[in-house]
Amino acid sequence: MTNPGLAPELHNEESFDDVAEMANRGERRRFGGVLLGLPIIGWMAFFLAFPYILLLLQSFWEAGLWSTLHNWNLQNYTAVLFGKSLAGNIYLPVLLTSIENGMMVTVLATLIGFPVAYLLAFKLRRRRMLVYTLVIVPLWASYLLRAYAWKVILGNNGLLGSVLNHIGLGNSSLNSILYSRTAIIITLTHIFTPFMILSIYSVLERVPESLINASKDLGVGRLGTFFKVVLPLSLPGVIAGATFTLGLAAGDFVAPLLVGGPNNSMIGNIIYSEFGATGDYPLGSAIAFVLLAFVVVLVAVSTLAERREQI
Amino acid sequence: MNAIDARRPERSNRSDSIGSLAVCLDGVTKSYDSVEALKGLSLDVADGEFITLLGPSGCGKTTTLRLIGGFERPDSGAVYVAGKNVTHEPPYRRPVNTVFQQYALFPHLSIYDNIAYGLRHARVAKAQIRQRVGQKMALMEIADLGDRKPNQLSGGQQQRVALARALVMEPKVLLLDEPLGALDYKLRKAMQLELKRVHHEVGVTFIYVTHDQEEAMTMSDRIVVMNEGRIEQLGGPEEIYDNPSSPFVAGFVGDTNLVIGLARDCRSGRVTVDLGVMGMIEGSCRQEVGVGDQVRVSVRPEDVSVMPMADSPITVRDAMLVGSSIHLTMVAGDTIVSALVPRGAAELPGTPVALKLEGSRVCVYPMGQV
Repeated sequence: MTNPGLAPELHNEESFDDVAEMANRGERRRFGGVLLGLPIIGWMAFFLAFPYILLLLQSFWEAGLWSTLHNWNLQNYTAVLFGKSLAGNIYLPVLLTSIENGMMVTVLATLIGFPVAYLLAFKLRRRRMLVYTLVIVPLWASYLLRAYAWKVILGNNGLLGSVLNHIGLGNSSLNSILYSRTAIIITLTHIFTPFMILSIYSVLERVPESLINASKDLGVGRLGTFFKVVLPLSLPGVIAGATFTLGLAAGDFVAPLLVGGPNNSMIGNIIYSEFGATGDYPLGSAIAFVLLAFVVVLVAVSTLAERREQI
Repeated sequence: MNAIDARRPERSNRSDSIGSLAVCLDGVTKSYDSVEALKGLSLDVADGEFITLLGPSGCGKTTTLRLIGGFERPDSGAVYVAGKNVTHEPPYRRPVNTVFQQYALFPHLSIYDNIAYGLRHARVAKAQIRQRVGQKMALMEIADLGDRKPNQLSGGQQQRVALARALVMEPKVLLLDEPLGALDYKLRKAMQLELKRVHHEVGVTFIYVTHDQEEAMTMSDRIVVMNEGRIEQLGGPEEIYDNPSSPFVAGFVGDTNLVIGLARDCRSGRVTVDLGVMGMIEGSCRQEVGVGDQVRVSVRPEDVSVMPMADSPITVRDAMLVGSSIHLTMVAGDTIVSALVPRGAAELPGTPVALKLEGSRVCVYPMGQV
């Protein structure tokens, strides 16, 4: 602003100053941004990047008797994918089962979560706060506690069995629910459904009621409106919730540990044991990286899908 | 209120007249919680007319539109569209379509798919859909926007798409809920002409909701002035401007001076009123007024002429340029009077002036009437 009084005439000269000043300001802002970002960058580097790099290096090493030998090779990855010995491959089937469990949990959580999210967004008026609170209250309890609760409910003399026995519906087949794949699925579904609800609700909440009215106005009934307007617009929320659920449920090790019993280990338990009792850190690292690769592919696919749905 | 009462007797033999009407509301009431939004509204809309519901926010105009569209159910009364009682029909079974305030275009569909949405659901043949959608896109001058998404369009273009989407369904009645509210002044003016042209070309009944009296005046065949859930007055734009039925209508539709005076002479609807320093004035009156009663007189600013006069108790306070005219504000005791005069006839602020109030559209109201 060299000469505010003559500003219109001097527009051209002035703009040079402006450009210089703007560039200057931009430089300063960028520097300030880096400075402000330093703590979080440092945090991420130390707690995220560093452990992953360590894990990745380790996955190419070899376990010795009491230590890790720094012999570079791919034997851990071949072990994960093709089996370690003549006894056959135990890792890949468990990984596939884990992903299968994760998918079942995802489907169940979506089927339960969508109607609840829909109710929250469109149907409930006065009781919305109550239902919303009921959805998030479980999230305040420890994850371990929630998984453990199912042990109590599904157990031999557990809540469910006692009640069913009491009303005369007791059945020996009930005894087999705890320590089974079913128990794992139930527990994980319970744990991940709230996230699914919140993810879908956050999208549905932003669907204007006028769009639903417009659809009805154009002659389309409730069901048609749901499938042609509400469902397509909710897809980004469903995709985000499903990615979250599938990624975390497939890698879970607490639920199988508590309610899965000895024959229903998931990939998380195998990794856990490689770092624990078995003490084969390199193999554990390799399994972890195969699981990570699955999650990375999952997130990439879902990001692409979400971007396509993006309006 | 009196407008409704006056219409009551017609209702006895209305069953045969309903058939020829585009829309008929019969004694419709609607409350939200404890607030009465509509207090017994009756309205006949003729086939093919452009009728505007005009009123301040909260007067019930949008509720009326939602009742016709089917988005609300009345507490009592009945709604007829094209001779059929649709009071309990959902929106998707009514031969009406709506242009929503914020357009409400489906963000996940292209412009073409937005417009074809209703026809596709009605299982209209593909070739026919293409032909009808194309025709409406041409009518709204958006033929080359078919592949775009709504968020790539300007407000004016979205408005055109919303109109095309509603008109392609070939409704008996088109409901427009403040469709120009989100546009800037210039675009709004252009779209007003555009809407008039479209109305003329398609011949569909338009029911238009607005709070903008200027918009109502320029576009409508008839205007329904609403206030607090009731119809204040129903008539052509000129009739409403020249002969407002109440001080509310006079004040809401156009500018007016409401001056208090004493009735001197009353006969057959004409009343002569003494306005003190502003002299005598004659005007029409719809209600009984006794000689000597205090009354309020509505005088349009363009019916006030101003001439300089020394020693006059009335002085000019402000002069404001309004295009080709000057808007003058005068102080006469504790009354403020405004006048719209040609530029040449304006006086400078501070000048003592005499006022002459006269004209065919002077209206007199009893003191109690709102």
